[in-house]
Amino acid sequence: MVELRENEIRILAALDKLDEKAGVEQLMAECELPDAAVMRAALILQENNLVRVHGKIETVVKLTEEGVIHAQNGLPERRLVDAVIAKGGKTTLQAAAQEAQLDHQFAKIALGWTQRKKWASFDPKSSTLTVETPPKVGDDEKLLIALCAKEKFTAEKLSQDLKAAVEQLKKRKAITVEDKTERFLELTNEGKLAIDGGAADITVGPKEITQLTPELIIRGSWRTMRFQRYNIQAAVANFWPGKKHPYLNFLDEVRQKLVSLGFKEMTGTAVETSFFNFDALYTPQDHPAREIDGIYYIKNQRCGEISKYANVVERVKAAHENGGNTGSNGWGYAYSEEEARRLILRGHGTCLSARTLLSKNLEVPSKYFSIARVYRPEVVDKTHLSEFNQVEGIVVDEKLNLRDLLGVLSKFAKEIAGADKIRFKPDYFPFTEPSVELSAYKEDYGWVEFGGSGIFRPEVTQPLGIKVPVIAWGLGVDRLFMMRAGLTDIRSIFSQDLDWLRRKQVA
Amino acid sequence: MPTIDIDLLEFEKLLGIAYLGNMTKLDEDLAFVKSEVKAYDEKEGIVSVEIKDTNRPDLWGVEGLARGLRCYLNLEKGPRRYDISESTVEVYVNSQLKGIRPYIGCSIVKNIHLSDKIIRGLMHLQDKLDQTYGRRRQKSSIGIYCLDLLKPPLTYTVGKPSEFSFVPLGFMDRMSLAEILERHPKGQEYGHIVKKHNVYPILIDSEGKVLSFPPIINSNDLGRVTEQAHNLLVEVTGTIHQTVLNTLNLVTTALVDRGGKAYSATVHYPKDVFYSQKKVITPDFSCKRVMLSVEYASQIIGLQFTGKQIGKLLLTAGLGVVGVNEKTVEVLVPNYRVDVMHTIDVVEDVAVAFGYNNIIPLWRDLPTTGYQRPEQQLVNTARELMVGSGYQEVLSNTLTNPENLFTKMNLKQAPVVEIANPKLVTMTVVRNWLLPSLIEFLSANQSVEFPQRVFELGKVTLPDETQDTGTRDEEWLAAVSTHAEAGFSEIKACLESFFMNLGVAWEIKPASNPSFIEGRAGKVLVNGLEVGMAGEVDPLVLEAWKLENPTAAFEVNFQRIIELKKNKLNNRH
Repeated sequence: MVELRENEIRILAALDKLDEKAGVEQLMAECELPDAAVMRAALILQENNLVRVHGKIETVVKLTEEGVIHAQNGLPERRLVDAVIAKGGKTTLQAAAQEAQLDHQFAKIALGWTQRKKWASFDPKSSTLTVETPPKVGDDEKLLIALCAKEKFTAEKLSQDLKAAVEQLKKRKAITVEDKTERFLELTNEGKLAIDGGAADITVGPKEITQLTPELIIRGSWRTMRFQRYNIQAAVANFWPGKKHPYLNFLDEVRQKLVSLGFKEMTGTAVETSFFNFDALYTPQDHPAREIDGIYYIKNQRCGEISKYANVVERVKAAHENGGNTGSNGWGYAYSEEEARRLILRGHGTCLSARTLLSKNLEVPSKYFSIARVYRPEVVDKTHLSEFNQVEGIVVDEKLNLRDLLGVLSKFAKEIAGADKIRFKPDYFPFTEPSVELSAYKEDYGWVEFGGSGIFRPEVTQPLGIKVPVIAWGLGVDRLFMMRAGLTDIRSIFSQDLDWLRRKQVA
Repeated sequence: MPTIDIDLLEFEKLLGIAYLGNMTKLDEDLAFVKSEVKAYDEKEGIVSVEIKDTNRPDLWGVEGLARGLRCYLNLEKGPRRYDISESTVEVYVNSQLKGIRPYIGCSIVKNIHLSDKIIRGLMHLQDKLDQTYGRRRQKSSIGIYCLDLLKPPLTYTVGKPSEFSFVPLGFMDRMSLAEILERHPKGQEYGHIVKKHNVYPILIDSEGKVLSFPPIINSNDLGRVTEQAHNLLVEVTGTIHQTVLNTLNLVTTALVDRGGKAYSATVHYPKDVFYSQKKVITPDFSCKRVMLSVEYASQIIGLQFTGKQIGKLLLTAGLGVVGVNEKTVEVLVPNYRVDVMHTIDVVEDVAVAFGYNNIIPLWRDLPTTGYQRPEQQLVNTARELMVGSGYQEVLSNTLTNPENLFTKMNLKQAPVVEIANPKLVTMTVVRNWLLPSLIEFLSANQSVEFPQRVFELGKVTLPDETQDTGTRDEEWLAAVSTHAEAGFSEIKACLESFFMNLGVAWEIKPASNPSFIEGRAGKVLVNGLEVGMAGEVDPLVLEAWKLENPTAAFEVNFQRIIELKKNKLNNRH
């Protein structure tokens, strides 16, 4: 019992009409079916021994863009020779090329071919071309004309002479030659029988559904139909959902951790006064970090305003010059208020901590953090950015000490970096003493410098009116992110590679 | 932070330990003095050491680094003693120098044997001190001479730029001071320090022979130190007396570490009110005394120490102890430890000597409540809405340039925060809107599959004279869609759903904007207030950025939405 469906019946009918044998393209046109549908039907018919499918390799010859021009206007050498004849059979190369409207480059090629084909004689001294009789139309030209009329040809069907011309024109890039397998369907005897109605065991199966439509559902007509099977393993088009940026996602995670550890978030502006970025943090006004290689200065407005902090400025000035009431000797130089007012792009997030310590709402105890975009005039390379993010903060409480500081760092190493081991080293910042560097060890990654911290110097806290110790800390989040994301180039954080963002795993 | 190149063999000789090329061990040891190995040139035997402490110039040479480390490695205890004998060398200072480069300090080092390596190390130290501690010779600069070639007393005086002349180091002919500033490489490099004055500093001996033209260059005859020189004169001039004296100590102690014997010189300052001291004997190797409270040190470190324990730790740190009792330790800070300006600096040394890794960390559970910044919740909601609309979030630099912000967006330049000292031509201003960042992003992804839809919610910086910093930062949101069928309705639909979900009533009104196609763009209004724009990007802009697909975009001042929501919340309460 053979059950055939609509497409298969149509193919059989078409073959009957087309003398029992036809190519796939012919059948596509006849049955108005796409390539895939014809092939699917052909395979089923072949399985049931109703048709035979033959494959035949054909060489297809097609004109290139250049070939089309040659076919329409004639080959350059033909145009050149015609031009010489038009000029009386003898003229200079230049005059002939001009007449033939060939530019310099084509004229040279054309000349070469006239010599090769022996169509004209050329005197290089006077650069003169002579044509005795109009040359006969060559095989290459015949092929071009033929192709121009028919667009493509099967090489096997060409005469022997024209086959030779194929090679020549292929070299001249006037045509392309490609091998293509052409498939034919031929009715078998059983197939012929089936068409004549002689095979009683062939029935027509139900209609196939390609796309289920609302109409089919509403009318319920799908019940009398069969669903065409899909090749569910075939490739599908890419799908790119929107996603959060992996680095910002990571910063969100850090923010949530810090909030859960009891830290409040501080914010501020990218443009800051030198006073809060440096002076209030006991960084002397001639410190190398304040040179043009260390910090970005603002051009359109040189100075900002610090007059509302006049008392604090006065105390900071004293701390710098001679220590003031801080118990320090100070840096021993003449402090400039003008320099303090200079506007810069903040070089670290610690300026936010300085501003927070000045706030009237500051509580004891309290804990703060900030995630701040900071700026340094660095040459951007694998390990340096001109603009990056810093996660920093403070802890304020009575009698805080170095042990507490190490406790804060250990907590961060475990909670945020997921470190297996930690290590401390002495560190230096102008604004903290003692100062500690935190290194975190993680299986598979090794030791990574993860943070810098310290207890604010009395020269910092006293002028800000703070009577209790303040722990200041900063985390190397960029390096942690790179480690997690498997990046080795810090520039990838601000990567403009959309494909990378699309493919970046989120889990 | 300074990086110094030290000869490993010289260092090992001074230190008394051989590392046998084990840089990990050296790096571990260097941590005591806040330094680390940056590079090791095995062939030349040179180690580059980065010293994090910008306030410890005593570590910036091979001698000082070895000295600083020896105590921590238990090879030495307490501060090193430096003796000084008196000499008859006198230096007279001209009063005209007071507004120019008023201070000088001198020392004499005798019976020293210099090898080529030692001289090179010395030059390296001199350079580091001049560059960093002396702030590129502005505050202080060093000169070293062969003493036997000079005839003291010396005169530190001034010369007229076009009249005074001598042969500068490395040249054959006499040049006037003005010519030196113009033609000598050091004159070109440091000339700006003296150029503003009518006369320039000059150091000469009793026969009028020139030692140097501070802080520019030594003379070719006297200012050259070779292996044959066994008696040296060190001179430091500068604008800050303490810096000059400290620098002189740093160089002289290094020379004494090399086996020399130090002698003082007497500096006579003019009878001018400017100078508080008329006669100064240099160098001064006396130690500073600091009273350290045991309670204070214990409190800062968080461990209960006894006076005796602290005393022992101080010696390990290379500091001296004069007296110890239960309450206080009298500490002797050697002259070369110029970083000690507060008792806290001594406390840190105690902690370092104890070892940070020997302290058990303590997490103090404080009764504080954590909060993210108030607008973060709404910012996150907005980002989620955009992600849900199929837009990929991107992260851009806020530093950009006027060409990107204006020219390529078909706009006239508007006021924007500019950088006075940009490092890159592409980063000269802070962005005042986001769309150029997104278009730039698309421009870099023309070969990536379309459609492309990206957004950024980030900071822009706007000039604002009412603020202390002359600027204000705001959170803005921009989104773009680019593909063959991108158009106004797509971006409007996105904006509509965005505002609907945020519960913000909005409208759009036709408006012209040169970045967008006329008649296909409008301004976005919330509560009648303009908060942004939306439209199809003008093909002029697309061409400028080499975008090949139609592109639709919107940009919204999200700060206004944040404020609107905040006000609503406040009104409800």
